[in-house]
Amino acid sequence: MELIDKLSILADAAKYDASCASSGAPNRSSRGKAGLGASSGMGICHSFTPDGRCVSLLKVLLTNFCLYDCQYCINRRSSNIPRARFTPEEVVRLTLSFYRRNTISGLFLSSGIIRSSDYTMEQLIQVARLLRETHQFRGYIHLKAIPEADPRLLEEAGRYADRLSANIELPTLTSLKTLAPEKQLGTIHSAMGQIRQGIDAANDAATQEAKHPPRSDNPKRMAPRYAPGGQSTQMIVGADTTDDRTILQSAEQLYQRFRLKRVYYSAFSPIPERPAGLPQAAPPLLREHRLYQADFLIRGYGFAAAELLGKPGNLALDIDPKLAWALTHRDTFPLDLNRAEPALIARVPGIGLRSVQRLVELRRHRRIRFQDLIALRCRIEILRPFVVTQDYRPADGQRDSARLRQQLTAPQPAQMALW
Amino acid sequence: MTLASSTPWVVPAADFGQWRDAARRLLQAGVPPAAVIWEDAREVQEDLFASAEAGAIRLPEPSVPPPPVRIAREDLALLERASRYRCGEGEQGRWALLYRVMWRLHQGERAAIHAADVDGRVLHQRHHAVKREAHHMHAFLRFYRDDTDGDEADARGAKRASGGEEFHAREDYQSVEESKASFIAWFEPAHDVLELGAEHFADRLGSNPFLIATPRGGVAWNGEQLDYRTPCPPAWAARARAAQTAGEDSEHALWRTYFVSTFNPARLNHRVMTQHMPQRFWRHLSEGDLIPELEARARHGGRRLAQEASVGERKGKTLPPARR
Ligand code: SF4
Repeated sequence: MELIDKLSILADAAKYDASCASSGAPNRSSRGKAGLGASSGMGICHSFTPDGRCVSLLKVLLTNFCLYDCQYCINRRSSNIPRARFTPEEVVRLTLSFYRRNTISGLFLSSGIIRSSDYTMEQLIQVARLLRETHQFRGYIHLKAIPEADPRLLEEAGRYADRLSANIELPTLTSLKTLAPEKQLGTIHSAMGQIRQGIDAANDAATQEAKHPPRSDNPKRMAPRYAPGGQSTQMIVGADTTDDRTILQSAEQLYQRFRLKRVYYSAFSPIPERPAGLPQAAPPLLREHRLYQADFLIRGYGFAAAELLGKPGNLALDIDPKLAWALTHRDTFPLDLNRAEPALIARVPGIGLRSVQRLVELRRHRRIRFQDLIALRCRIEILRPFVVTQDYRPADGQRDSARLRQQLTAPQPAQMALW
Repeated sequence: MTLASSTPWVVPAADFGQWRDAARRLLQAGVPPAAVIWEDAREVQEDLFASAEAGAIRLPEPSVPPPPVRIAREDLALLERASRYRCGEGEQGRWALLYRVMWRLHQGERAAIHAADVDGRVLHQRHHAVKREAHHMHAFLRFYRDDTDGDEADARGAKRASGGEEFHAREDYQSVEESKASFIAWFEPAHDVLELGAEHFADRLGSNPFLIATPRGGVAWNGEQLDYRTPCPPAWAARARAAQTAGEDSEHALWRTYFVSTFNPARLNHRVMTQHMPQRFWRHLSEGDLIPELEARARHGGRRLAQEASVGERKGKTLPPARR
């Protein structure tokens, strides 16, 4: 099979992984050195496909042959799809070629399970080793961690990769049992635990060495030796009946227990040869979007999952989770922006983290006026009922939440129907 | 009114360094913003640019002893970035804005550089636009192999750009060792971010030489140094544009294949895509012409599945369960 045909098949097979991030890597440069590639912590989206998703990395499977039969997966062994396999050298060639043309910032390599978990993991590592050692590639590398593989191999993978990820896919034991019978939640967790230990140990060592904050140029200090971009995972949304509350609680636990950098949510997309029991519907994109918003509130704004969704069920689709929280906590508002704690200002719908920082800064110079919120480009229509400034107090501060919600809701967004 | 403020000082500046030197002198002489007319020598003709460099600018004498002018390092960086913003019709000139902010800071008005201030707000918006455009350049610039060097390539590029000479793909194309190859790109930045792009690509490509041509300036990297030219030599521009359209770098065919396959038609979302990748960049992307086609296919039934249609048409294969 020609390289171009393999690429066509193995990129198609890899698109179900939502992550394409190239962020969080240490500063590396190839100036004045042999080899190729740089990274700066800031991710770059080199293109966007018409689905609105960022193309930052060459995201392919090494092979889509697979021994497993995960029901939600297009590559499961019972699926009648074209199969292909790259040699490690072919992946290297594509990565370097695309990188030089500035269409990617690195590689995200995953694979179906062939022969054994160990063998598969070794193949992935081989690609990373060729890139890093033979070609001195300093771009981004994200490797999939095969949970069942020998811990020694995960250890080795982390020394080449910027990021490792083991996918949870389904957050509960029962759904995993039904839809991915060969996978074990325990094994996935222990792989995550091992990766976390590796990262913690490397970070500790780096802190010990570093007398300066981690922005210095010293390459030794800049490159913790184990997955410096952290680890991530993915959960599928809408393949079964698992609700948002379960998904968010699992995410929160994963963040706490394994210090994940990111949890990705992947709306289940219809696949060919759909097994019975899986939805034949458009991917629930809006639901996925709300989950990302809630996830961001948990990671960045100090919200707990239980605050955002106290009861079993899903997040509201018609309003974002921060506004939903504010509407059920009217006693906190309206909030005086000239007095409130920064952490509380961050809970005002329509005010982002950057603006919180700027408002707190501004308070040191003078009192905050309503005009400042406009200048800072906060979402005025949304925040109006929730804030007090030197010259402003909401007229609708007393209005009841149901009416307020109605007023703040754009025309009902419907889940898009396909056919 | 003093004499100094009744006849305004006319001060041209072609870059941030020139502005900074002039601004320091003006501040030390106590000249308020209203008494300075800044000329943007980046926007005017070459010869005027030259006269500014020749030191023909008249500046006031500072008061003795000259008061120190201080600014926080990060604020200076903010001013520098914001000065790269290309002002549109009716927008205030870059140097005048910078000087007013500087003047107010010098008067002890710390809020002048804050994003909620009347001037600070504009400054931050410009800074944001510049940052975004530099990011666009890092993201959407495309390099092509530039196999022939120097004069020959320039002549070839010029010829091809003028519509002559058909090109035949070189057979040894891939056999040329890529780690030593030269690359070339054409890019049309909306703000003055060429330097920010060039530095970034020097980090990325290391020992691979490259050349970037834009409608205003150009830069060449030889693996060790950056060589800036303003304006961009016409031969560079012709070569860069020709490389983009000639289609001789066959690796871009692989990239296009990847782009098609990684797209998920079931998630079609035109609005989000154009939000992140404005349409003005499409025609310079090697995958740009694929976008309308992919969207059309998705709208006409392709959305039913996430799989790329051409992959689905290939012969499939199921696998036996593992022996346990
Ligand atoms: S292990 Fe499961 S999810 Fe992974 S490729 Fe195989 S079938 Fe798909």
